[in-house]
Amino acid sequence: MIKDSSNLIKYTDKGLYCELADTWIDPHKPVNRALITHAHMDHFTFGCNEYISTYETAMILKERIGSEINIKTCEYGKEFKINGINISFHPSGHILGSSQIKFKFAEERWLITGDFKRQKDETCKEFEKVKTDYLISESTFGLPIFKWEETQKTAFDISKWINSAPNKTSLLFCYSLGKAQRLLNELSKTNFKNNIFTHTTIYKMNKCYKKLGIDICDTNKFDKTQDIDEFKGGLVLLPPTLYKRSFLKKFKEIQTGFASGWMSIRALRKRSGYDKGFAISDHADWEDILKTITESEAKNVFFIMEIVKL
Amino acid sequence: MSLNKFSELFLNLDSSNSINKKLDILKNYFATNDYLENSWSIYLLTGKKNKRFISGKLLKSFFSDIYEFPLWLIDTCYLRVGDSAEVITLLLNSKNIGKNKVNKDISLDELLSKTLPELAILKQDEKKLRVKEIWAELAKENLLIFNKILTGTFRVGVSIGLITKSIAKLINLDEAIISHRLMGDFEPSAKSYKFLINNKIDLEELNYKPYPFLLANTFEKKITEESINNFQYEWKWDGIRIQLIKRSGKVSIWTRGQDLVNRSFPELVENTLYIKDDFVVDGELLVWNFEDELPMNFSFLQKRINRKAPSKSIQNNLPIIFIAYDLLELKGEDKRELNLGNRRINLEKNFHKWINESEKDISNIFKISNLLFPKNWEEAENLKNNSRENGTEGLVIKNKNSIYSSGRKKGIWWKYKVDPMQLDAVLIYAKGGSGKRAGLYTDYSFALWKDGQLIKFASAYSGLNNAEIKDLDKWIRKNTIEKFGPVRSVKPEMVFEISFENIQVSNRHKSGISVRFPRISKWRKDKNFKDADTLATAHKLMMNKL
Repeated sequence: MIKDSSNLIKYTDKGLYCELADTWIDPHKPVNRALITHAHMDHFTFGCNEYISTYETAMILKERIGSEINIKTCEYGKEFKINGINISFHPSGHILGSSQIKFKFAEERWLITGDFKRQKDETCKEFEKVKTDYLISESTFGLPIFKWEETQKTAFDISKWINSAPNKTSLLFCYSLGKAQRLLNELSKTNFKNNIFTHTTIYKMNKCYKKLGIDICDTNKFDKTQDIDEFKGGLVLLPPTLYKRSFLKKFKEIQTGFASGWMSIRALRKRSGYDKGFAISDHADWEDILKTITESEAKNVFFIMEIVKL
Repeated sequence: MSLNKFSELFLNLDSSNSINKKLDILKNYFATNDYLENSWSIYLLTGKKNKRFISGKLLKSFFSDIYEFPLWLIDTCYLRVGDSAEVITLLLNSKNIGKNKVNKDISLDELLSKTLPELAILKQDEKKLRVKEIWAELAKENLLIFNKILTGTFRVGVSIGLITKSIAKLINLDEAIISHRLMGDFEPSAKSYKFLINNKIDLEELNYKPYPFLLANTFEKKITEESINNFQYEWKWDGIRIQLIKRSGKVSIWTRGQDLVNRSFPELVENTLYIKDDFVVDGELLVWNFEDELPMNFSFLQKRINRKAPSKSIQNNLPIIFIAYDLLELKGEDKRELNLGNRRINLEKNFHKWINESEKDISNIFKISNLLFPKNWEEAENLKNNSRENGTEGLVIKNKNSIYSSGRKKGIWWKYKVDPMQLDAVLIYAKGGSGKRAGLYTDYSFALWKDGQLIKFASAYSGLNNAEIKDLDKWIRKNTIEKFGPVRSVKPEMVFEISFENIQVSNRHKSGISVRFPRISKWRKDKNFKDADTLATAHKLMMNKL
C-alpha cells in the first residue's frame, strides 16, 4: 500500500484517480467507482458500476439520462470513508449540486475544486472556502484578460438588448443546465416582464431546479415546431446546439445572442456568428482563481486545462 | 458628438449582422451628430489611412511598465485575443482603470487633431505618462475605441458602400454622387462633410477626384450562350489599375485602392502634361521590359509604388508604361453614360490625336489596350489559355452596350483568368492567426521535396473553410514537433494543393523561387506526403511559363 500521500490523486487516461480509495473523479471512461462533481455531461460517463454525488446532482442526472444508474448521494460537508480515505463534498458555486471534493489521508489534504465560481448565484450554494495542502483546480478562464461584470449588470444588458428590438424575437443561446436557470433567476430581478420561452431541454431543467427548491420564474415551453416570428418582443432561451442555419433560416424577425464567458473576446464573438455576446460564466475569472488558490493555503497547486469549445 | 457617441456607434454596429440594421444605425448616427464629428467618423469608418500614433508593441510595453505587468503574460493573452488594443483594454478593465462615474468625454476632433498628434511627438517617457493619464480620464466603455484609434487599428464591419448608402439615404441623393464625393482623400473637416451632403451637385469641386471604378466579375460559363460579337476583348494585365486624370492642367494618378500616386510616377505626370486636352482615362500601369516587349514582374512595380520620388536611374531601369482602356471624361464632359462601343471610338480617336500633336514623343509611355477579335468562344478560350505567353493573366471581356457604372455590377465586365499554377506541398509550419482568427492556427507554411528534404516554398492563409480550419487547428495542436513563440513546426504529413498566379526566381528564399498570391485550393487528404511535388517540378513550371 502507498503510504506517501504526495501522489494520492493522479491524472490517468480515464481522469483523476485516487488509487488508495480506488475511486475516479469525473472519469471520461467507464470505471468501477466514480465521484461526480456536477451534472454537466462532459463530467459524466455511462457504464460505471457506482456513482457518488450530492443529492441535487443525482436528481439532475436522473432527469437528464433516466434513472438506470446506481448512484449514492452524500451531504455537503459530511465526511465518509472509502478504504480508509476520508472524503467530503463541498459547494463549488458552479451550478446546482456542484461540488469540490476533499480527500484526507495521513494528515495530508487534497482538494479537487471541480468547475467552480465565486460570483453570487442564487440558483446554487455559494462556493465554500476549503483549506488544503494539495489543490487541483480548473483554469478555463485562467488569463488576466478575463474579468466578469456584476451578474446584475449582464442581466440588465440582456434585458436592454431585448427591449431595444420590440419588433423582433430575441434568441438567447446558453447551456441548458445552470446558465439558463441563473439567467432566468437574474432576469426576474430586473423587472423584465416580456414573454419568455424556453426550449424543452431547458424547460425540463427548470422544473427539476424548482423541485429542488430553487426559485425560477415560469416560462412557456418552446419546441422546434413553433413559429418564432410570432413571439415579437419576447425572449427565447435555446441550447447552443440549436444554433444552426437550417433552423434559424426560417425566421426573419430575430436577433441572436450567446451567453458565455468566451464572449468577452471580440474575435470569438465575431467568429461565433451571433449578433450579440454576453460575457457571463459559471467559471471563475482570473482574480477569483488567484483568490481561491491563496485562500486554500495549498502548498502544491495543479491545474486541469480545458480546451475551448464554442 | 464625442468619443462616447462613437463608442456607442461601434458597439451597435459590432453587435448586428444585419445590413439593414447597420444602415439604420449609421443613418441615425449621422443625422444626430454635428458635421465636424461626422467627418471624423467617416474618416475612421472608411479606415483607409488611419494614422498610427503608437505601435501595438509599444502600447503593450507601456502597459507592462506602468502596471509592472510581465510582457510574456501580455503576449500569452494576445494569442487568445489577436489584437493589441483589445488585449490592453481587457487588461485595463481587469485593473479597474477607466472611470465609470463622471467621465470626461472628448470630441473626435479634439482627440484626432490635437490630443493624439500632440502625444505622438512626445518623448517616449512623456508619451507613456500621457497615455496613462488619458486611460485614467476616459470612461471604461471608451477605452477600446481609444486604444484602437491610438494604434491605428480601428476597424468595424461596415464597407464604404454601406456608409455611402446611409448618407445617400439620409439626404436623399443618388448613391453614385456620394460615392464619387468620397473618392480619393477625404480630409476630415466640417467643410468636407458639408460638401458630402450638399444637395447641389457642383462638378468644379470634384476636380481632382477619380470616378468610382468599374470592376470586373469572374467569368461565368453562361455568357458563352450570348453572341461572341456582343463583347469587346482585351488582355488582362497584371499591373495596377489607375485613373489618369488631367483637369485644368493638373494631373492626378489614382489607384483603384484610392491612393494618389503622383509622387511615385513623376515621369507619367510629366508626360501627361504634354497632352493638350483635359481627360479622365481608365487604364493599367506596368513596369515594362522594352527589349522583350513584355511586362516586368509585379514585384518591380511594387518597388516603384513604394518609392516616392524615384531617381532617374530607377526610372530608367524600371520604366513604366500606361495602357489606356477607357475614356471616362473628355474636356470636362462626363462620358460614362455612353456605351462602351462609343467610348472606345472616342478613346482611339483622341488617344492618337494626343500622341500625334504632342511636342515630345510620348508614345513610349502611352499605349492603348489592343483589342482582340476571337471568332467564337473556343478561340476566346484559347487566347485565355495562352495568355501567359505575353505576360498577361487572361482576358477581360466587356459588354459593348454597357455604360461605365460604378462597382462590381454583374454582366458588364468579366475577367476570364488563366487557370492558376498548382503544386502539391506539405504543411511544415503553422502560426497563430490574428484578428478574427485569434486562437487558431491559420497561417501555414508549405514545403516541397528536394533530395529527400522538405524545403519551404510558400506561405498561405486563405482557401480553407471554417470547418477545415477548425479540423486543421486540432490536428496541428496534436502533431506539433516544436514551438518557437507563436510558430509551431508540425509533423510533415498533410498535403495541400497550393494555387498561385506566377512563379519566379528569388534570391531571398531558400527554395530559390517565389510565387505570387499563393492560396490553398484543396486539402489533399488522399495524398501521401511522400508523393508531394518536388522543387524540380516547380522549376520546370517556371521554365515552361513563357
